[in-house]
Amino acid sequence: MNNVKRVFPFLLATLLILAGCKKDKPEEPLPGTGGTGAGRGVYITNEGNFQWGNATVSYYDIATGMVTEDLFQPANGAPMGDVCQSMYLHDGKAYVVVNNSGKVVVVDPSTFVQSAVITGFQSPRYFLPVGNGKAYVTDYYAGSIAVVDLATNSISGQIPSSGTTQELLLHGGKAYVTNETRGEVHVIDVATDALVDTIVVSKGANSIVQDAAGKLWVACSGGGGTPPALVRIDPLANAVEATFPFAAGAANPWRLCINGEGDKLYFLKGGVYRMAIGDTVAPASAFIPADGRNLYALGIDPEDGTIFLGDAVDYVQQGVIYRYGPGGNELGTFQVGTIPGSFCFR
Amino acid sequence: MMHVRVRLLVGLLLYPGLALQAQDMLDSLQLDAVTISASRGVLFDAGVKVQAIDSATLARYRDRDLGELLRDASPVFVKSYGMGSLATTSFRGGGASHTAVLWNGFNLGSPQNGQLDLSLVPGGLADEVTVQYGGSAALWGSGAVGGAVLLRSGTSFGGGLSAEAGASFGSFGDLRQQAGAGYSNDRLAFTVRGYRAEAENDFPYQVRLNGSDAERRQQNAGLLVQGLVAGTAWRINPRQQLKVDAWFADAERQVPPTPVQGAGSDHQHDRALRATSEWRRTGNKATSFVRGAWFDEELWWYGQGADSAAYSRARTAIAEGEMRMRAGERHLFGAGLHGTYTAAGSDGYREGRSQDRGALFASYRFRSIGRRFLATAAVRQEWADGVPVPFTWSLGGEYRFLRLFTAKANASRLYRLPTLNDLYWIPGGNPELLAEQGYAGELGLLARHAGRKGTTLEAGITGYRRVMDNWIIWLPAGNYWSPQNLMEVWSRGIEFHGEAGWRMGRTRATVGVMTSYARSTNERPKTANDASVGKQLIYVPMYSGGARAGMEWRSWCAELDAHYTGYRYISTDNRQFLDPYTLVGASLSWRIRAGRGCMLSVLLQGANLLDASYQVMLNRPMPPRHFRAGIRMQFNQPRRAGPAEPAAHAQTADE
Repeated sequence: MNNVKRVFPFLLATLLILAGCKKDKPEEPLPGTGGTGAGRGVYITNEGNFQWGNATVSYYDIATGMVTEDLFQPANGAPMGDVCQSMYLHDGKAYVVVNNSGKVVVVDPSTFVQSAVITGFQSPRYFLPVGNGKAYVTDYYAGSIAVVDLATNSISGQIPSSGTTQELLLHGGKAYVTNETRGEVHVIDVATDALVDTIVVSKGANSIVQDAAGKLWVACSGGGGTPPALVRIDPLANAVEATFPFAAGAANPWRLCINGEGDKLYFLKGGVYRMAIGDTVAPASAFIPADGRNLYALGIDPEDGTIFLGDAVDYVQQGVIYRYGPGGNELGTFQVGTIPGSFCFR
Repeated sequence: MMHVRVRLLVGLLLYPGLALQAQDMLDSLQLDAVTISASRGVLFDAGVKVQAIDSATLARYRDRDLGELLRDASPVFVKSYGMGSLATTSFRGGGASHTAVLWNGFNLGSPQNGQLDLSLVPGGLADEVTVQYGGSAALWGSGAVGGAVLLRSGTSFGGGLSAEAGASFGSFGDLRQQAGAGYSNDRLAFTVRGYRAEAENDFPYQVRLNGSDAERRQQNAGLLVQGLVAGTAWRINPRQQLKVDAWFADAERQVPPTPVQGAGSDHQHDRALRATSEWRRTGNKATSFVRGAWFDEELWWYGQGADSAAYSRARTAIAEGEMRMRAGERHLFGAGLHGTYTAAGSDGYREGRSQDRGALFASYRFRSIGRRFLATAAVRQEWADGVPVPFTWSLGGEYRFLRLFTAKANASRLYRLPTLNDLYWIPGGNPELLAEQGYAGELGLLARHAGRKGTTLEAGITGYRRVMDNWIIWLPAGNYWSPQNLMEVWSRGIEFHGEAGWRMGRTRATVGVMTSYARSTNERPKTANDASVGKQLIYVPMYSGGARAGMEWRSWCAELDAHYTGYRYISTDNRQFLDPYTLVGASLSWRIRAGRGCMLSVLLQGANLLDASYQVMLNRPMPPRHFRAGIRMQFNQPRRAGPAEPAAHAQTADE
């Protein structure tokens, strides 16, 4: 009895402490709505974390404002893969590039049910259909650009290219491919898949758009003695027409986008920068400052010029998407998957 | 005196369940003559929870690694990336670089990333493993925030000739061998041990594909780990002793791809030479120590798309002088100075980098005459490249009452220096980083009872609280990542452990249980939209626990254990998580005397007996049910009359 008395305070303390504990079971995320609506919307590719296999594609319905955090898993019963880099809508199909899974998944844009998988890549980044039932896929580590047969959904050839290739663009029967490590833009004849020209820009060439005047613009993050810069290319001469350098710093230009009219360039450099295609100097300050956010994705709605901005926060939680009007007025926010990286409008 | 101790130690080896009972006796024996040369962390850190891993458990993990040992025998969460792959810790809600692993008193954490891969530390490296809970930066310096693991290689005198050899084979191509020999007389002692482990680790695992589970086989997961551990001790005269230990390790490991990747061919090669030394002079009132260490660690990483290996190397020289002085029966003072010089190179630095650290430390211990009350205080001031880091202290006390109980309390200030990678990595390294710093406190109550007929009971409960500020985290800064002093982390938790043992004739039974509740939350937003505030850190299980039961009968010994690990969040907003898992293991061993001074033992072990499909870390599959069998031969020829049991040589001499 004496011993029981001695142990009693001990037990009481234990019970009190246990009562203070917190439940560790997480709340189940809300089930997806099952595909997209019929109207206009924007797909947000979320990279997820390297080697975590938590890449997702979220969807924002422009008319209703409804958000689906993950389209793929509910439709296919399995996660999509590791590091979703980009997505392209073509011929009634969506091609989703899953970088560290080395694949491009082909899904229905509305149901997101997978119909095919194109495999055999090392580190695919961007997908571009180039006509004749073909597409090019830049492959970061492969030292080549893959040629994909869209009828068989298989790789039919390789175009050698040393260095790491990123975004690409089709203009006048030629594919223009940014090469980050070499600081070049490769020009490939899509009829013959042959490299026909190379344009030297600045190191870190990462993204490319075409403006209303038919010129090409390339964002370069600089490095190796070359400055961060926006570079304008004349595709008729395949030559650099103008270079808009920036001072080298922690934040350098990337994620270059253009509005539907093709007259205003937008890019990330910490905050969002804007530049009219006719401007003679590069913008000195941000159009939308970062304000403590980790801005990682940028997209411009080609119809109404709405600016979609992705905040990856700390990379290990849900990303936040901001919508801004063309004038820079904030319209609202919504949450998506981990590390939103690109937007795809439909 | 020494013989009494040796007998006790032998007793511990043969009857591991006795450990508890014997501990009290050891305590009282040690306290007089021995204490003064004990480990600093044990001596001058009253009030913290301390767990000595018993020698029977150590013997079972001799050919395993430290990660497996801590996973099974302590509440430390071991973040294992797979069988034989990288294993780091989370201790009381801290990160991998918040646990200090010390070998003979020297921190093994890499100066480059602050971590130690526990899978590369063989279980046979140390003859004593002590887990010191809570922060002890005032004793051990930078990094001893969540806890410290003290490893000690021992070399004892007067043991004669000994030798051992063992081999085991297990599932998935696991083959291990080790052999060692030692000789000691009253003045000189030598031991040398070699170990080798190879494995395919090509185990099957379940993966969810297109709505149904499919079975896959782990690939590119092979390993070959080899090493040599040698120690020597020289009793120069009755007052002076010199001890030198060296450890060479070489590991070739493939790094398996995650299930979400395609095939993988990454592999890494680790090589390290580490040596420690201690000279000790015991005077009537004062004992002096001079210690030195040399660590040379190299890593080659062969990754995807890389033409050649990414290479890094760190060389560290450490020197330390310490003096301890007794004043009467109650007071013990200690003071010392410490210097660490590290030179490191990496493909990530462009140029060689170095760090020069110096520290002054002092400590005090008070024990009341009746030994009811014990109190310690310690202070430490460290400089890193001439810049003072936060002044650190600890205060602790223990009080015994009602015969059964000991109440414990400890408070301390803690810090962790940024690593060389944090400071100098290109791009991103931030030379402006401050040391992480914070405060920790804990309260504990321990009940211990030793009955007359070999019945032992022990139960302890500990609550702790810790706030660390300037917590370093790598975050994007423009086009690359950079570490910043951004987080404030509040950790608190409760740990419970209980053990009981009985003896009935030649049968001895023990049961034990340990549980841990650990909350560790970020308290400060890192960026504008940070939803991690108030949320549990990733990879810190809130609940974990284990239970074990053991039985010994004549020369047979059986053990059964089970461990539960609760949800681990993997996103900082706690929306993504990994499921809990329970692992059950069992072992059966049999020991027989095979001739004079010779002992043969056979071990059968099964792990994950419930065949749980689980992941400790996301997308790092763990093996299903698997088994191994081992055999070990030990030989001891004493120099003269003395205990004939062979295992005694392995114990540390604190005589």
